[in-house]
Amino acid sequence: MAAARGSSEGVRRSDAIVARRRRDRMRRYGLYLLAFVILAWVFHSTVVEATDWARIGSLGSVLETLGRFLPPDLSLAPQLVQPMIETFMMALLGTLLGAFLSVPVIWLGAYNIAPFAPVSYAIGRGLMTVSRSVHELVWALIFVAAVGLGALPGILAVAFRSIGFIAKITAEAIENIDRRSLEAIYAAGGNRLQVLRYAVMPQVLPTFTSVVIFEWDINIRRASIMGLVGAGGLGLTFYRQMAMFNYAGVTSVIVAILVLIGIGEVVSYLLRRRMI
Amino acid sequence: MTAPSATSRRRWRRFRYPDSLYRFAALLLFLVLVFYALDYLNVHLERLADVGGRVAVFLAERYYPPDLAYVTDADYLAYVGETMQMALLATVFGLALAVPLAWFAAFNVSPSRRFFYPLGRFSITGARAIHETIWAILFVNLLGFGPFAGVLALTMFSIGFAGKLMAEEVEGIDRGQVDAIRATGAGPVQVLIYGVIPQVKVAWTGIAIYTWDVAFRAATIVGFFGAGGMGWYLRRTIEGLETERTAAIILTILALVMASEALSAWARARVMNR
Repeated sequence: MAAARGSSEGVRRSDAIVARRRRDRMRRYGLYLLAFVILAWVFHSTVVEATDWARIGSLGSVLETLGRFLPPDLSLAPQLVQPMIETFMMALLGTLLGAFLSVPVIWLGAYNIAPFAPVSYAIGRGLMTVSRSVHELVWALIFVAAVGLGALPGILAVAFRSIGFIAKITAEAIENIDRRSLEAIYAAGGNRLQVLRYAVMPQVLPTFTSVVIFEWDINIRRASIMGLVGAGGLGLTFYRQMAMFNYAGVTSVIVAILVLIGIGEVVSYLLRRRMI
Repeated sequence: MTAPSATSRRRWRRFRYPDSLYRFAALLLFLVLVFYALDYLNVHLERLADVGGRVAVFLAERYYPPDLAYVTDADYLAYVGETMQMALLATVFGLALAVPLAWFAAFNVSPSRRFFYPLGRFSITGARAIHETIWAILFVNLLGFGPFAGVLALTMFSIGFAGKLMAEEVEGIDRGQVDAIRATGAGPVQVLIYGVIPQVKVAWTGIAIYTWDVAFRAATIVGFFGAGGMGWYLRRTIEGLETERTAAIILTILALVMASEALSAWARARVMNR
């Protein structure tokens, strides 16, 4: 009706809106199409072309291969107990060490409490990124080369991989704390250390604890692969069973990992509920 | 007003008698556990004494001039490209499966609490519990070397990663909107589309981007066990003791992961602020 009243201004405006919507819609469909074409190309080049389909054979033969993994080899069960405990302990010690090592990194990387903010902030953040960017397997390779085989490189690898995440979350929590409590401790004559102890720590300890518990949960699955590169635990058993082509035994190891993760999940749930 | 005579002399403590004892006992127990673990694992702490120095010397001597010519080679770059493709494809597949599984596994809107909820929970937890390298080994065993195995391994990884976060996001939504849709007589699918997805769309997009980032990090490694991508080069140079090349490869992994992390942080910030 607005058009009939002779307001060519309104017509023009509504036409422009319609045209813009149509253009936006076309652009969106164009993007969908582009995304689809890219995905199809990626699928073609990585899956269709780069796969040795003759090696895989028919679906039946894949299922047959899969069948070798079943049922789990129960005779392996007694030999799994020790690696399970080892993996569990490796995760525990690794998380603990990671939590300790993350404290200085947090101190450097939290802008409002860092000793010389512009420089230390960059160092702290850099350490966090490196810690998280290097995969646990690479950390394990480095530490196996440095301290030899055994549980120690596994513990160190788990610890170094955990530093980044623990430090990042805690540093962000510290940056968001209430400034006034810091100033209150300063005003009462507290030095920097006392400010950290009485103003910063009480405010971020819950965050720190819960992120450590969260990380411990993840570290159990990390610890379970350390054996693949020579650092003991369930990974070593997995590797041996695989090397012996004892696929039923491989399934047993996987069941053991699942059990361990299940225990970890229950324990971390209980711990977190107690803390909060 | 009574004089605070009896109480003022007593030293203030945060935890009173039975509590303080429990806390002390818990700490003691924990320390015993730690030392028992160190003993059980046969950890030689003295090896730690100069580990920093040793790592530094050994990096400087053997790994130091990273062989950068090796990683700018066209063959290697093709594998880098393959790694990116694997991560992209696996993220898409993983998300396609994670969305329904997250819906099943979110207790508040699950289509069936008796049947679908445990199914979703179990699938996500299982996919998550098994580390991506173990998935890679299993799929290589099943399907042979190559990126297909890697894509499947990373798909499992993405399901576990995204599924858990997405389900948690759904469990935190506003019940009112869900109830409102339900009250109109909508079925579970309609509740999902009109009651749940509008509330979690932004968060899910963020999770999707994050999943890609993390899957890319994992994609650089699965090749170590023959599942395609640049990890294969890592294995080759490590087993050939070509340490300067290994150093260069680790540097490329670091650079790529940092770049992907920056990209994902930027994309997430854009999605969240809109």
